[in-house]
Amino acid sequence: MKSANSLPIRTAKDTAHKNMLPKLSRRHRTLIVLALTTLLLLSIVTGSYILSDSGLSVNFEIKNQAPSMNNLFGTDWLGRDMFTRTVKGLSLSLGVGMMAALVSAVLALFLGICAATLGKTVDTAVTWLVDLFLGVPHLVIIILIAFSVGGGIRGVIIGVAVTHWPSLARVIRAEVMQLRSAEYVQVSRHLGKSRWWVATHHLLPHLISQFFVGLILLFPHAILHEAGISFLGFGLSPDTPAIGIILSEAMRYLSTGMWWLAFFPGVSLLIMVRAFDILGNNILLLLDPHKAHE
Amino acid sequence: MKNKSVVFLVIVMMLSSLFSIVGCSRLSTSQDDRKDELILAVGYESDTGWDPVTGWGRYGSPLFQSTLFKRDSNLNIVNDLATGYQISEDGHVWTVSIRDDARFSDGEKLTAKDVVFTYATAMESGSVVDVTVVDNIREVDEYTVDFILKKPHSAFMALLVSVGIVPEHAYGSDYGEKPIGSGPFKLVQWDRGQQLIVEANPEYYGDKPYFNKITFLFLEQDTAFAAAKAGNVHIAAINATLAGQSVQGMTLVNLESVDNRGIMFPYVKSGGTTEDGKPIGNDVTADLAIRKAINVAIDRNLLVAGALNGYGTPAYTVCDNMPWWNPDTVISDGDMEEAKKILAEGGWSDTDGDGILEKDGLKATFSVIYPASDQTRQALALAATEMIKPLGIDIIAEGKSWDDIEKMMYSQAVLFGWGSYDPLEMYKLYSSGMAGVSWYNTGHYGNVQVDEYMELALAATSEEEANEYWKKAQWDGQTGLSGRGDAPWAWLVNLGHLYLIDENLDMGQQKIQPHGHGWPITDNIVEWKWK
Repeated sequence: MKSANSLPIRTAKDTAHKNMLPKLSRRHRTLIVLALTTLLLLSIVTGSYILSDSGLSVNFEIKNQAPSMNNLFGTDWLGRDMFTRTVKGLSLSLGVGMMAALVSAVLALFLGICAATLGKTVDTAVTWLVDLFLGVPHLVIIILIAFSVGGGIRGVIIGVAVTHWPSLARVIRAEVMQLRSAEYVQVSRHLGKSRWWVATHHLLPHLISQFFVGLILLFPHAILHEAGISFLGFGLSPDTPAIGIILSEAMRYLSTGMWWLAFFPGVSLLIMVRAFDILGNNILLLLDPHKAHE
Repeated sequence: MKNKSVVFLVIVMMLSSLFSIVGCSRLSTSQDDRKDELILAVGYESDTGWDPVTGWGRYGSPLFQSTLFKRDSNLNIVNDLATGYQISEDGHVWTVSIRDDARFSDGEKLTAKDVVFTYATAMESGSVVDVTVVDNIREVDEYTVDFILKKPHSAFMALLVSVGIVPEHAYGSDYGEKPIGSGPFKLVQWDRGQQLIVEANPEYYGDKPYFNKITFLFLEQDTAFAAAKAGNVHIAAINATLAGQSVQGMTLVNLESVDNRGIMFPYVKSGGTTEDGKPIGNDVTADLAIRKAINVAIDRNLLVAGALNGYGTPAYTVCDNMPWWNPDTVISDGDMEEAKKILAEGGWSDTDGDGILEKDGLKATFSVIYPASDQTRQALALAATEMIKPLGIDIIAEGKSWDDIEKMMYSQAVLFGWGSYDPLEMYKLYSSGMAGVSWYNTGHYGNVQVDEYMELALAATSEEEANEYWKKAQWDGQTGLSGRGDAPWAWLVNLGHLYLIDENLDMGQQKIQPHGHGWPITDNIVEWKWK
């Protein structure tokens, strides 16, 4: 996933979004995207709680049915309701993505600050680690990690979390290095404040915004990788409603004309990932001092 | 850049199977153009190569080698390399005479030395070829061999049918890659993971095969189907999902099989461990009422219709319709009332009103493990657990890798598949002496009476006598290893083996198919011809 490696620096370039809603300011646009994304998030989470598990039960009498009012997204070859599976799958992806992105971002924050403040040896070590993780394709490392910790949701979360921190860590490291040379930090130092005090009082507050933007931008990648690894069969039990598994199973039925098996879950995943992507990019641009006034 | 990759990945995930459908030119099977060549996509390659000593050729034609005996289309034993056999009165010595005109594909003569060498190598190699019953093998003369058994063993013939003879003079560590044998074909090219090309062996002593060159493509069933649609193969093994579509120029053939699927229950209570520390036993499935109720409640016909799209038959034992099968083992299933009665009599009731039964504080809940890569087993596991739920037994179906299953199979119910031309398989699955040995009796089932019947069957000197004992082991009116008796398994279905076959191809009469969708169909490949 080359794109994950390049986040969030390259994504700061605003491109297509401007044309989509040309008359509104970026602040308004961001608010609208934020509202829509929140709505989407809430509807998925509440939906997955409201929908009963009966839609996941095997029911041969209604198998292979095209979308209808009874089954909005159709049913699969076991008669399971694809709408229920999709919503529950998205909810699972959200949970896994959220968890993995959070762990990853915290890891990035910690390592980024360490690299910038704890001297040259630590910096070299962290930079080497960053290069190592950026150099090897994510999916390979995720598969290795998920496999070695015994698969399952835990494996996927650990795998995704461990692979997604480097680019954010690099940004934070650079930010901290810049802050360190700021006058007020120097003054603090000369006044005899400890490294820890400087880190928590002067550095951290400046990093919070970077951290959250990084977190939001990591999120869609985490979801996508969760789906990717489930798709490849290295993650969860195949009866778990997860988007990757649903898409992987649907592949076998494409040639039989059952398009709804892949279409709805695939499009839902796409919408969710894009929503968070746009949100992250917009917030990033708002917080970027060079572009915030555009 | 990132946006593009997001879209790209999802699109790839949604549509990647479509790429495989792109086809090339159609094979010509018109009267003039069709050649003595076949292209088949009927299964996977043998991981260990084409060496009978390590297990190649147990199902289907060994292609490159020939066996001492073979089975005709009615499963009767007939001579192949052998010209006859005798069993000593005490059942310990099997004397087999072989033909004197057999040659390996390199022109060397096949003699008793090669037969002795083959079985001696199998004994030393400790492979899946089970020769533990053989004490010694002796060359009597150039064309006669004595097999001296440790004890009388009526199922020994199955071994003589399944092991291809390898040449002593040309056998080495790379034999699996460069097989030389006395079979109808010889190897031309093997591209691991892709294809195997064979051509007729001019030295073959039997009727020459009609087809001079056969290419086996190792394709997934979806890809094989796409290849059949594109007209690139003459036979494609496909699954029930794909069977609904017609393919121009090809006929769908549904071969009956004893390739069964069933749920193995751990038979003993928990607490024990294997030598390497894996847990043994399960308190819930150790209860007879639970196992019997599940056997009675499952609607096998519905499973066939729903999970197999109708391509299969209900299964009641590991050996349905084989000569040693006892038809009395067929139970009337799909009977929820009877199942509830069995559970109530067994002491199970829902005391806390949560919909799940209890007995002495033990909840009626356990897991059924199935291999995650097998969609048919997944469908069967999910459907069966759904059927059982109204009984108040909560079964959780979980997909795992084979590595995980190997660790869990002594303490969890597992959806396994078996089915063989050899009654010894039943012995291995149900004999108390085989408890915990390899993948066989993982549930640690044991019944003294069943053991005794099976030992008597093995010691029998005629097939008829042996079959009577095999049948009694399944159900003797009082006890047995089937669902009527101890019910250590709930057998569910026998799969229909589905193939798309070129409508001009005559495949002769096919036998009832054993476990393994694919290679078994090649069993009579020498008889295949264009119509």
